[in-house]
Amino acid sequence: MGYVDVSAVRHTLSDGRLLLDDVNFRVGEGARAALVGENGAGKTTLLRIIAGDLVPEAGSIARTGGLGVMRQFIGSVRDGTTVQRLLVDLSPPAVRAAWDALEASELTLMETDDERSQMAYADALAQWGDAGGYDAEVTWDTVTVAALGVPYDRCKYRELNTLSGGEQKRLALEALLRGPDEVLLLDEPDNYLDVPGKRWLEDRLLETRKTVLFVSHDRELLARVADRVVTVEGGTAWVHGGGFASYHDARAARHERLAELRRRWDEEHQRLVDLVRTLQQQAANSPDMANRYHAMQTRLAKFEAAGPPPERPPEQKVAMRLRGGRTGVRAVMAEQLELTGLMQPFDLEVWYGDRVGVLGANGAGKSHFLRLLAGQDVAHTGGCRLGARVVPGFFAQTHAHPEWQDRTPVDLLWHGEPDRPGVDRGRAMAALRRYGLAEAGDQVFRSLSGGQQARFQILLLELSGATLLLLDEPTDNLDVLSAEALEEALAAFDGTVLAVTHDRWFARSFDRFLVFGSDGRVYESTEPVFDETRVARAR
Amino acid sequence: MTLAVPPGASGPTPERSDGCRPAEVTDSSVDQAVDRLHVEYAGRLRPQLVVRVVRDCRKDLGGSPVGALPELVERLARYRLDRHIA
Repeated sequence: MGYVDVSAVRHTLSDGRLLLDDVNFRVGEGARAALVGENGAGKTTLLRIIAGDLVPEAGSIARTGGLGVMRQFIGSVRDGTTVQRLLVDLSPPAVRAAWDALEASELTLMETDDERSQMAYADALAQWGDAGGYDAEVTWDTVTVAALGVPYDRCKYRELNTLSGGEQKRLALEALLRGPDEVLLLDEPDNYLDVPGKRWLEDRLLETRKTVLFVSHDRELLARVADRVVTVEGGTAWVHGGGFASYHDARAARHERLAELRRRWDEEHQRLVDLVRTLQQQAANSPDMANRYHAMQTRLAKFEAAGPPPERPPEQKVAMRLRGGRTGVRAVMAEQLELTGLMQPFDLEVWYGDRVGVLGANGAGKSHFLRLLAGQDVAHTGGCRLGARVVPGFFAQTHAHPEWQDRTPVDLLWHGEPDRPGVDRGRAMAALRRYGLAEAGDQVFRSLSGGQQARFQILLLELSGATLLLLDEPTDNLDVLSAEALEEALAAFDGTVLAVTHDRWFARSFDRFLVFGSDGRVYESTEPVFDETRVARAR
Repeated sequence: MTLAVPPGASGPTPERSDGCRPAEVTDSSVDQAVDRLHVEYAGRLRPQLVVRVVRDCRKDLGGSPVGALPELVERLARYRLDRHIA
């Protein structure tokens, strides 16, 4: 069993900004700790420091047991990395080193087939065996069968870019959970997984006896798996020793306590300053008071040197004001609607004010359905129309706007779009500030984090005056606090909402559900249905 | 990369029967290599030389993974036999 001990860690960004200071926490043996915080708070940086990728400016990291790391980019690998290379990279350092030596000696042998090269190759093979390489290959075979359904020998040269994001994640998770490392750092392990995949991950994390520190924004996963929560905020980190269910209360109580401590310090500081001033005047008139004056000066200096307690972390100010407006009673009507080749015909009536969760299998046509309602060109048969005064506003997955990539949020707001009037810089900045995006206003869209891009899209919906919100996985990249702000905004929205989501927590805030089954059937449900498996199609 | 080798410990170091002279190695990697190389070098080298070279190679490769030994032994022996001919 292993543990991680983070002690007094400090890290400064290249622009001189202090990102983390005095970070202290311990993830004990067998613990399953969640690492949470706003987008950009420093979670990934902290994981990289623990993993040894970054050297902290101050402080230290202690750990025992081998360390396995799953990085955030797994799931979106688009280069020529092979399955074999990924599995090697996820292996313990001794196996990696033996692999590299073996690869090098084999290359040498291919070029120069002499006795020396042959003996070096034999030696590299022996080292591969001593490092546990053959055992690792047996494990890799189990891993690929579990994750991809094929033996290692049949898929080792396959490039990761031919796998879906969920398959890449599953492969890495299987390797780490079955591997020898006793401490696992998992950066957003649930991204790209559908609901059955997330449930599988939860069960495996609950079963494992390894020590796990993971970053996630999925509240259901956090609630089921985490037995403690490490929060990165205000430039430092603190630990809630309970699960996610009691986390919000603990965080609020901590913020109040910090505010109270700071208020008391300010009061005591003011009292000492006043006392010094009074004694200064008295000492001018009475030499007997000079000693008391100097003593009080010393006391004030010591008090100030000790410094104030940490400030209460600033609350993330995301104020979404989705207003909407009254529309006809029937907001959406579909009759024998069939998206060509995707699902069977179905009827649907959505009423003004409804909150409809669109759930179901990957590849069943959910996103196409939303795009059709948004007025985009989607091949279909049957009828589909919107009610009186229904103005659709579409939130697409973040990669769906290539035309925005090199433009800044301020520019996009200023120019407007056919269905959204442009606004001047002052109004644009005010709106961006409400969404916590003021500092990102002049950055190009592609440089924003996933969470920032998602918040910006919601801002565009607000400005468009939409009365029907069509949301495609809106919480996928939002941190927990932003997702809650979106839920509050949707609750206050005067209009109709249809949202495709795999976020079980978010889905529970909806009234009714439209389920796209893996068999092509589309049906309604009063309860969320997450058991539909992926649609099987020839690829 | 040639890693189709069954997992297992490294190959056995030749046992010593008298404490100073290594016992002759007669495992399957030697037998297989001798059989193939006998045929390959028939008429060019004496059979006794082939056996001796193969056994020396097997001894030199002691410590290599058992599953990889047949390939390693035969390859090294072929290299050394070629040098004898040259």
